[in-house]
Amino acid sequence: MKRILIIDDAATVRMYHRSILEGAGYQVDEAVNGIEAMEKSLQEPFDLYIVDINMPKQDGYGFLSELRSRDISQAPALMVSTEGASNDRTRAYAAGANLYLVKPVKPDQLLIHCRLLLGEVHP
Amino acid sequence: MALVKQQPSETVGQEERKRGRDRDDLELQLSDPSPSARRWAVRDLAECPDSSAILVAHLHQEMDSSVREIILTALTQLGDEHAVAGLVECLRSEDVFLRNEAIEAMKMLPDEVAPIMGTLLADSDPDVRIFAVNVLESLRHERVEEWLKEVIEHDPHINVCATAVDLLGEVGTSYSREALEGLNVRFPDEPYISFATSLALKRICSI
Repeated sequence: MKRILIIDDAATVRMYHRSILEGAGYQVDEAVNGIEAMEKSLQEPFDLYIVDINMPKQDGYGFLSELRSRDISQAPALMVSTEGASNDRTRAYAAGANLYLVKPVKPDQLLIHCRLLLGEVHP
Repeated sequence: MALVKQQPSETVGQEERKRGRDRDDLELQLSDPSPSARRWAVRDLAECPDSSAILVAHLHQEMDSSVREIILTALTQLGDEHAVAGLVECLRSEDVFLRNEAIEAMKMLPDEVAPIMGTLLADSDPDVRIFAVNVLESLRHERVEEWLKEVIEHDPHINVCATAVDLLGEVGTSYSREALEGLNVRFPDEPYISFATSLALKRICSI
């Protein structure tokens, strides 16, 4: 079973994404910021990261940059944010994101992008 | 996020504390190459009247995060018009760390932030409105629920409303019930809004 880590400081967003992903058969874990996500990533591998940008303590950019630069994981990362400006996307990809979606993400949109990133379907 | 962090027990050179401590001297010391000297200058400036504008101006030039953190703490302590305006300006920053620290600082200034909350929630930039809702998260003020209710009744941007609903799920009461039900009507095809309002209403009904 593929394991997905949801990193978001908003509890409702975590619950929403979890309900969609678990309903589709994925194993899901959660972190409230980049620091907690890093601790979890050092303990166990994940197949996919769903990362919010604006979080206290360590934001999504900082987490992904560290994850990639320290070579802790090269698993695909889907960055989700309320911010749709092109410079946010550019920063997300520079930090190591594989895909960028603007919130709120619809269930079928989330699932198809997760499946694409996990290599379960092909474009 | 703790705004006031204990500083490492570094040795601060005695010469730094022997420097002049009037406002002009302290302003000059903000350009000192040593972050430690700059931190001390900020701490001392926080004791000077009318120093908020100097600190705000320096905040946007300061590259050292430990100095910026002390400036934000100082602005929180000062809490005057310039200090609050400076914190609000940080909400427009591209620097996520600065933005988050400013949000945390503003949460500590309920009486100073309250008069400008209406303006913040009506800002033309939806991101600023989202950050204003973030400030409400732990702002100890009697109007928090009223502001959130106004957001979900009138704000046209789905993510501003979504952020407000998340918070109403924690602090909302029956006062917001109709507004939450109305939000589903305003955004009928948004599963996230449906999910979040349902959660918030469930919690409100269980109170």
